[in-house]
Amino acid sequence: MNSQNRSLADFRLAILAFFIFFVLFIYSSLNLKNVDLGYRQHELLLAEKKLRLEIDFLQARRAELLNLERMEKIAMEKLGYQYPEPGQIIKVVEDDNE
Amino acid sequence: MTMNSNRQGKKRFFVLSLFFFIWIFLISFKLFNMQVLDYTTFMAKVRAQTNRVEELHPKRGTITDRQGEILAISLLSKSAFISNKDNALSLAVFKKFCGLLALGNSQKINIIKRIRRGEKFIWIKRKLTDGEYLKIRPLALDKESAGTIDFIDEYRRVYPQKKIASHILGGVGVDEQALGGIETSLDSEIQGRGGKLKVLIDARKKIFQFKYLEQPVAGKDIHLSIDAALQFFVERELAAAVKKFQAAGGAVIVMSSRNGQVLALASNPDYCPENIWNTPLPVLKNRAISFLYDPGSTFKIVLAASALENRVCGRQEMLDCHNGVYTIHDRQITDIHPYARLSFDDIIIHSSNIGAAQIGRRLGGEKYFQTIQKFGFGRRTGIMLPAEENGILNPPQKWSGVSLAFLSFGYEIAVTPLQMATAFNVLASGGVFVRPEIIMGDTPDAGPVRVLSAANQKRLTEILTAAVSRGTGKQAGINGLEIAGKTGTAHKVKTGKYAGSYVSSFGGFFPAHDPQVTVFVVIDEPLGLHFGGDVAAPVFKAIAEKIMLYLKLFPDLPAQNEIRL
Repeated sequence: MNSQNRSLADFRLAILAFFIFFVLFIYSSLNLKNVDLGYRQHELLLAEKKLRLEIDFLQARRAELLNLERMEKIAMEKLGYQYPEPGQIIKVVEDDNE
Repeated sequence: MTMNSNRQGKKRFFVLSLFFFIWIFLISFKLFNMQVLDYTTFMAKVRAQTNRVEELHPKRGTITDRQGEILAISLLSKSAFISNKDNALSLAVFKKFCGLLALGNSQKINIIKRIRRGEKFIWIKRKLTDGEYLKIRPLALDKESAGTIDFIDEYRRVYPQKKIASHILGGVGVDEQALGGIETSLDSEIQGRGGKLKVLIDARKKIFQFKYLEQPVAGKDIHLSIDAALQFFVERELAAAVKKFQAAGGAVIVMSSRNGQVLALASNPDYCPENIWNTPLPVLKNRAISFLYDPGSTFKIVLAASALENRVCGRQEMLDCHNGVYTIHDRQITDIHPYARLSFDDIIIHSSNIGAAQIGRRLGGEKYFQTIQKFGFGRRTGIMLPAEENGILNPPQKWSGVSLAFLSFGYEIAVTPLQMATAFNVLASGGVFVRPEIIMGDTPDAGPVRVLSAANQKRLTEILTAAVSRGTGKQAGINGLEIAGKTGTAHKVKTGKYAGSYVSSFGGFFPAHDPQVTVFVVIDEPLGLHFGGDVAAPVFKAIAEKIMLYLKLFPDLPAQNEIRL
């Protein structure tokens, strides 16, 4: 009877130990997962910041390349374009009837 | 033997257990000490090692034109500084630095002095360009430099269009503080708000957890109503005119006739916004909104509008122009071209001062003053730019015996070019006063206010069209494009007296039958020629030609210049 009681108590103790171990295991793995996610989140934040900076830089570069003074210089000096004289203006009219 | 070995075993067990318990006790004691007694000290140490609060600097908003072209943008850049641990080493490294990057002599001397004084943190050059950073980086990474040169991230304001729209944009200082233009007037919106980020770092200094203590707010992007291409054309024509006439400066305003949106606003001399802190104060003055002058004959449009509204003159009624010289209270009024009599229309078309004074006398001070106020004179237009002047408009109670006569042709009143442009726009917009706006979506609180009837607006437009086709504004005319406009030439006031210098101006709108664009040109102190028709009207024409092409406002072309698809 005594040995039966003792083995039941041991079993309960084992269950309790297992439960405590299980809870601790879950807790630590979630904690590790949380830390891991933190690393990833920060990496993504940095990557997003880097991309935003790159977009800004590219936008500024595009605007610099499209600088009107530069465009006019290229058009006139390299491509030989000229502003039209008053008599050279041609109006293109699209006929709605056709 | 067995008894002895049992006793010895128990003894060993006892000793081991004792050691074990002492060890456990010591660890527990230490833990208790750390966790309970010295908790605050150790927690502070841990926090110092793992917790950090990072300041998040906001990025200033981007400024674009009406087409979305970038006029101002903030880019992240590096600022170089010396972390001075050893004076001799710092001096040697700085010498190498100077070999790579040009610095001003006074700046070099200042830095050397500060190194010798033993200062620990010394800026060398802030907001480096990418090219400059790439030049210096190897020096900073060099083992011999031992971390003497280091960098901090800072935002650098970039103006990709360089000088274009400088007076509208303004600029910012080295710490991104607004120094003029839109950067100042909308600073609170553009600058955004900084934030704070609490981060947890591991032993390898990697962040594994973060939390915003204060969420940063990025600066608001601003969309201006100006068109960078038009602004470019306008600035170039203005600069050419100022150079040609060796003038002190000038201003041009181009407005959309229908809604009062400013399409271009130029002031000369101009500057590069990136160097605003090096620019002399007089150059920073935005003449379009801060230059006060007597408008001269361009102001006759207000007189004519008032006379038509109050029906004091018939359009073909002849008025005495006293053959070019008229004296009132010992003050002489003269006309450049003497006329005996002129009709109401011709007084405006040929810009007779004496004729204008006669109209003014018929009109009376009170009625004229009311019209002047309705046209928006004597108060700011409310455009979103700093340092706009009110102008000077005295009430009739303060007028002298000659004030009404002189006000009739644009003296004894001080206006800004923008106020004049807005006044011309009253005629272009069908007779209503529309507040000029430079920010897209900045709709005025009050809607358009009717100043003169549609019929009178039409009459006045006819008169102004004739002023360009056969009057003083001939040089503004473009074949096939109907332009309504008025010239102005005024003596300039210097130290309280009218001096021998002039302000030439021309205001107008086109196409006259369906106005799309209103333009006002003012040239300050031109040398040689000084009449508005000779100085400002050709600038108007040159600008109108470009606008016509750009906005496809084609004039009535001969049949051979039309292609039908």
